[in-house]
Amino acid sequence: MTTDGGYHALGDARSGKMAANVVGFMRTLRRAGLASDASRTALAFDALRTVGLAHKSDVQASLEAVLVNQHSDLVVFRELFDAYFRDPQLANQLLAQMLPTAQGQANPSKQRARTREALSPPKPNATASKPQSETPIELDAAMTASEVDRIKHADFNTLTASEYHLVMGLAKRIKLGLPKWRSRRYRAASTGHRVHWSRLLKDSSRGHGLSPRLPMRRRQLLAPALIVLVDVSGSMERYTRLLLAFLHAATRPSAPNGPGRRHVFAFGTHLTPLDSAFALDDTDAMLESVNALVSDFAGGTKLGESLATLKRDHAQVFSGSRAIVMVISDGLDTGVPAQLQQQLQWLGLHSKRLLWLNPLLRFDQYVPAAAGAQLLHKQCDAMLAVHNVDSLTMLASSVAQLMRSAR
Amino acid sequence: MPQSIDDLIAALKEVGYFADRRLATAVFLALQLGRPLLLEGEPGVGKTELAKALSQVLARPMIRLQCFDGMEQREALYEWNYTAQLLHMRALEGQPNSSASEIERAVYDQRFLIARPLLQALQAPQPGAVLLVDEVDRADEPFEAFLLEYLGEYQVSIPEMGTVSAAHKPITILTSNRTRELNDAVKRRCLYHWLDYPDRERELAIVRARVPQAADALTAQVAQVVGQLRSMPFSNAFQRAPGIAESVDWAKALVALDTLVVDPEVIQDTAGILFKQRDDIAAMSQAFALDVLEAAAQHAQDAQYTSNTA
Repeated sequence: MTTDGGYHALGDARSGKMAANVVGFMRTLRRAGLASDASRTALAFDALRTVGLAHKSDVQASLEAVLVNQHSDLVVFRELFDAYFRDPQLANQLLAQMLPTAQGQANPSKQRARTREALSPPKPNATASKPQSETPIELDAAMTASEVDRIKHADFNTLTASEYHLVMGLAKRIKLGLPKWRSRRYRAASTGHRVHWSRLLKDSSRGHGLSPRLPMRRRQLLAPALIVLVDVSGSMERYTRLLLAFLHAATRPSAPNGPGRRHVFAFGTHLTPLDSAFALDDTDAMLESVNALVSDFAGGTKLGESLATLKRDHAQVFSGSRAIVMVISDGLDTGVPAQLQQQLQWLGLHSKRLLWLNPLLRFDQYVPAAAGAQLLHKQCDAMLAVHNVDSLTMLASSVAQLMRSAR
Repeated sequence: MPQSIDDLIAALKEVGYFADRRLATAVFLALQLGRPLLLEGEPGVGKTELAKALSQVLARPMIRLQCFDGMEQREALYEWNYTAQLLHMRALEGQPNSSASEIERAVYDQRFLIARPLLQALQAPQPGAVLLVDEVDRADEPFEAFLLEYLGEYQVSIPEMGTVSAAHKPITILTSNRTRELNDAVKRRCLYHWLDYPDRERELAIVRARVPQAADALTAQVAQVVGQLRSMPFSNAFQRAPGIAESVDWAKALVALDTLVVDPEVIQDTAGILFKQRDDIAAMSQAFALDVLEAAAQHAQDAQYTSNTA
């Protein structure tokens, strides 16, 4: 692949391949889940023309300013940029990108799975000629942890690009529909039910006469707190990673429909607070952090003991008393049933709604026969399924319905 | 207007702002492409200061719009001076030739318009203004939607007067502490930069420039300790790491207390300057402060060794 001038086409600015490389890079970004449209492409070229191509770091900073628009995408952008424009492997990877038949040698050692998959050659679109199957996507289909790792410790790994797309798509599509309640406090607003007398007086005194506009105030709308308790016992392993990723993306307190506060705990043989992991922007970084924090992965489930720890050490998360508590578990508890019953009663009293999300509901004939499952079934306000996309959609509408009835 | 990234770095440095090359590139692009720049980052990393520094470098007036919960359009864009309008109407009522439509036209005159920051920025005379839309994440979503016209076209619509476009495009900096996620439409109109905590060298330069009366050893120790505190996982120690503003304040406080060398007792006594959360201040025991000091010194030694051997 040489040009007329004899220069090697790839990576040689004289042969005018920069445009193709940038477009290829943007396509790779899209595959990794970073949104970039045609207007951004034009802006990226404007930026490169402005800054020039003399310094690689300037090129990277320019593309970063144009193509990234949230902090959580920065890590993936930098990894992809390094991999895509690194010199020795550049030809190989670009070949893989441009020629679907060539096998690219991605560097598997340091990159996260999402970056690797975004850089790998695109797979032929086998489904293009066939009608799309309506079969729901099972969450456990993407489980890749080896049996040995599973026994040793938690191995939530990182998400591949396709898993990332799946999770982000779910998070966008499936809104958990947490309700907002009117607070007792009022605030200034353009429309409202009450006159804002202090502001009216202030405006009037400033204007030397009664202000012609009536400032109003109304009650604030506040979302409830969300407390999630995730079972990390061995029987739950196939669901936990993607469920954590989904919850991380779908319940951001900063999101327009997010909860007021979010507290996440993992439980197995003991309780592990995961708030520090969930505070991280990047879903992969969150999973890595959860990996480091959880030490009782694939052990037994002692929900009663874990709830006692929650009550003793983290009772402040229930302040405000309107929290929605989600217990994600299959109910196969190995603890003392009496303790579990006592703790579930306490939890029910201190939350607005106590929901049991049970992946075992995938089986049509499921009955909560185990002791722990029976107690959860009895004490919780509702038992909802969380094993596939359909059930997650149902979960969202069920939560919204349950919360409406709780007002 | 700086002609290169290096020029911009040097110009910002002259006014006491130490920008790294990545940030300078984003700012340079915002200036050259005429796009708003959205700066996100933890509180105290220098987002607002950048707008102030740019205003000095470019010799443009800085207009600041501080966003807050419940902010309305009239507080950001314009409002009518109702009192003056009423007085004017009263005055016109006495004149026999004034019809109702004429009075209506007269009261919506430019002179009764009180321009708020956005309109001020659009109407600023040559060379234009630097507009800082500070903490845009604190405003409501409807306000974000209202900003779209301004961010995209540098124009606003006033129902009684029509569209007002910028004669000289204002340089617009938006800052966000990420208390909530901004709308994609706002982000699409802006260039983006995540402003991180500075590295040790940059922090040292900032503290030296801002607190010149502090001795070199003390400045170095301030940078080391603050850097060490930031590197600690907050789940184990602190809820919020100290920003650049806190380092500068701490250095000033240490100078005011005639401190020559930082020791655990001093750190504990002045923890209220570094941290603003009660739990964080309480977590800073003398034993912990000693650990921090030792780790910071070790880290500095390692860095020195690496730079010597390189």
